[in-house]
Amino acid sequence: MKHIRNFCIIAHIDHGKSTLADGLLENTHTISDREKRDQLLDSMDLERERGITIKSHAIQMKYKAEDGNLYTLNLIDTPGHVDFSYEVSRSLAACEGALLIVDAAQGVEAQTISNLYLAIEAGLEIIPVINKIDLPSAMTDTVKAQIIDLIGCDESEIILASAKDRIGIPEILEAIVNKIPPPKGDEAAPLQALIFDSVFDAYRGAVAYIRVFNGTIKEKDAIKFFAHDERYEAEEIGILKLGRIRTKELKAGDVGYLISGIKDVHDTKVGDTITHLKGGSEKPLPGYKEIKPMVYSGLFPVNSEDFEDLRDALDKFRLNDSSLVYAPETSAALGFGFRCGFLGMLHMEIVQERLEREFNQSIVTTLPNVEYIVYTKKGEKIIVDNPAEMPEAGNIDRVEEPYVKAQIVCPSDYVGTVMQLGMEKRGTYINTTYLDPTRADIHFEFPLSEIIFDFFDKLKSLSRGYASFDYEYIGYRESDLVKLDILLNGEKVDALSIIVHRNKSYEWGKKVSSKLKELIPQHMFEIAIQAAIGTKVISRTTVKALRKNVLAKCYGGDITRKRKLLEKQKEGKRRMKQVGNVEIPQEAFLAVLQIED
Amino acid sequence: MKQTAIYIHIPFCDHKCIYCDFYSIINYDNLNKYLTAIKKEIELRQKDFSEDREIISIFFGGGTPSFMTPGYIGEIINSITKNFSVRNDAEITLETNPGTVSKQKLKDFLSVGINRLSIGIQSFNDNELKFLTRIHDSQTAIETVNSAAQSGFNNISVDLIFNLPDQSKKMWKKNLDISVSLPITHISAYSLILERGTILNKMVLDGKVQMQDSDHDAELYETTIELLTNNRFSQYEVSNFAKENYECIHNNAYWRYKDYLGFGTSAHSFINGKRWWNYSSLNFYLEKMKNDNPVAGEEVLTNNQMHDEYIMLAMRSNGLDINDYENRFGSMWINKVQNDLTEYQSKGYLSIDDNFIKFTPKGYTLCDEIIGRLL
Repeated sequence: MKHIRNFCIIAHIDHGKSTLADGLLENTHTISDREKRDQLLDSMDLERERGITIKSHAIQMKYKAEDGNLYTLNLIDTPGHVDFSYEVSRSLAACEGALLIVDAAQGVEAQTISNLYLAIEAGLEIIPVINKIDLPSAMTDTVKAQIIDLIGCDESEIILASAKDRIGIPEILEAIVNKIPPPKGDEAAPLQALIFDSVFDAYRGAVAYIRVFNGTIKEKDAIKFFAHDERYEAEEIGILKLGRIRTKELKAGDVGYLISGIKDVHDTKVGDTITHLKGGSEKPLPGYKEIKPMVYSGLFPVNSEDFEDLRDALDKFRLNDSSLVYAPETSAALGFGFRCGFLGMLHMEIVQERLEREFNQSIVTTLPNVEYIVYTKKGEKIIVDNPAEMPEAGNIDRVEEPYVKAQIVCPSDYVGTVMQLGMEKRGTYINTTYLDPTRADIHFEFPLSEIIFDFFDKLKSLSRGYASFDYEYIGYRESDLVKLDILLNGEKVDALSIIVHRNKSYEWGKKVSSKLKELIPQHMFEIAIQAAIGTKVISRTTVKALRKNVLAKCYGGDITRKRKLLEKQKEGKRRMKQVGNVEIPQEAFLAVLQIED
Repeated sequence: MKQTAIYIHIPFCDHKCIYCDFYSIINYDNLNKYLTAIKKEIELRQKDFSEDREIISIFFGGGTPSFMTPGYIGEIINSITKNFSVRNDAEITLETNPGTVSKQKLKDFLSVGINRLSIGIQSFNDNELKFLTRIHDSQTAIETVNSAAQSGFNNISVDLIFNLPDQSKKMWKKNLDISVSLPITHISAYSLILERGTILNKMVLDGKVQMQDSDHDAELYETTIELLTNNRFSQYEVSNFAKENYECIHNNAYWRYKDYLGFGTSAHSFINGKRWWNYSSLNFYLEKMKNDNPVAGEEVLTNNQMHDEYIMLAMRSNGLDINDYENRFGSMWINKVQNDLTEYQSKGYLSIDDNFIKFTPKGYTLCDEIIGRLL
């Protein structure tokens, strides 16, 4: 055990985490030249394209250190995004140390700080690395000062690297061996193994990625999971290199995988503890929690007849993503679909994109919202994750919404504009600290609903990409929230209803109405578009009645063309959604998602 | 005998008007080669399509067919008469542009067999004519119509265009008033269409010209229907109006889903549910005619396509003859849309009697919208 090192990498997006990991794998000859490609650990197309890590991965390296010993290094690669902070925390829990990678040109970012704090809280040994020192814009000394300020290390402890040019890689490997402590634990003690991720394999079912803390797990062992009471048999056990390598057993300190005949990833929950059925541990490892979605949205098939296909796709998707929840939902406007819960906006985007790409689904999504707690005058407490379920305004005593503590790191020049954005988003300003004279670390509290939508894009654009952002959930608070409905000729378009702060309702209603006016084609009658809170109409606009629609010429040579137009018109109509006597094009629902708050 | 119409395309023009998207060329080098090719194409089709057919109409469209000599046109008519059985009372139309024909030339057209003129007046307002880049002025337009009548033509149609940029209702009405005072039997009144690839389209895209909105267009259209109907020109199609017994036989062949043969560049043919069209480039057409195959594309219509076209064409023109429709297609669709039909009737868009469904003037204005919803 004393020659094992388990570690992860903390880095902001684009700071070079994947390239550095590639460098470590190369240096330790874990991969052959034939297997070489960029972002080795990111196996999904989406991860490569976006340069992000969505799933956790683990890979084992063998490293012959300068002290002459052969070490087993387990790198656990984690997703960096705040949506997946629970997964991150469980991956951190599986390690004894972390590489903190900071881009020499960008400096410390919000996400780096929050993940770093998670690592420090988990008691991990931190190895600071400044990456991309070869960049012309590198400001290595400034970044050094930021890091020293942040973790209180000595300047000499900071490793300077350029992962792209493979500079600093040997130093990093030595630091891993020398600074990160070996795992503690007792091979003879009752089994405690932490699941830090699980993936779905079409042939084998759920594959749990585990870190053994105490005891030994062997194939054919009868095992159980603390989160539920089923018993299983350990069918296959091994370690993770580029693929799975069967070793038949794992001991305290080891990182590897376990296949146990479990159908899907819902029974191999991240954070759960595995032990033996007989003579097992009394207690699970600390830190397990059921993760709950933070953001909800309706997903509807573009063509109503594709509902069953979408259900199949979601069922399959769920095999590999235990955090996605969904339930059938019916909308008068959009037909049959699903109310889906996501960990956050990135998670939502990923799910949508993968459904479209990997499962060939064409979907319309409704405006995302958070989960509200509504207290009625009768004293009931109702959880509302869909505006359609909001009680009548007259029956509501008060509404509470989730709040988050947010941290924004940006160059000090942008403090003013960030403050302004914070105020627009109903933020409560807490304080500002300076990482160095040029970098501010601003703290706010926000209603979650204000930041799930376009906050990050706005922040990025007003800071020319320099600001970074992270948040954590802090609880529910009362707010003056109302349900805003959109009506077409008096009929509610349920898919366009939203729950919004009263002060913002008028502005929102006006924007949606004018967008709809642009996109709803003229009908043979006038269409009134209204935004209303309860029975009170707060804005109104109209689509004028169509006065003329007829092609002037239709002779021999025009007939084919005219028929094709008709066919197109028919197809277009088929894709329209109908509310009352008004036909709404799909684009209208999508366009509402683009409206800037 | 299957009634069949023949269309001859004459692509030659003196110049290209800004709104025109027909295939036309302003170079006369290939006039004679073209004549030879047309005659060859007529003979070619004779083999397959002359049996059991009678020709009810011949239509010379363009381009500017009246630029051709009467001898040129006469030769084509002779070729058709030789190869097909043309009815004695067949309608033989020549598209004519004002200013391209003297009284003598008109008489000569009459003597080679032309019995109907379709005159491309477009407007009686000089500013509007200039805008449209027509080669004639209003005076010439009126003179051409009068000359035609004096030369012995008793079936004269004029083409007009409305909803021109800046055209007021008053200006348009004046065009209509002048038209109905002339010795004519037929009027085609088209709302200005922006066609892709026209100079006008480019001008609009470049912001040099602004088109009027569809409300104004609707108003002019409604005015047209009212004024012409009051002057005993009945509407028998979206854009076509005729005195009693002067509906254009050729037009009706298209709209009542009869067979037709087209000869020359870009001409379309429709025989027994199959449609084909010739190459539109003159050079291509001439080249391909060397191998007797000028066809650029074809489609064999499915039953559904024929069904939709039949309804669309019938509804755009004199209305849907329910008996004829049911003989061809059965009654499934009629039953399906029964409620919609009744609703459109009650709202004043359709008139329905025992076996005819026809648009009202209000209905014609929204013809495409309603047909689209019914199909």
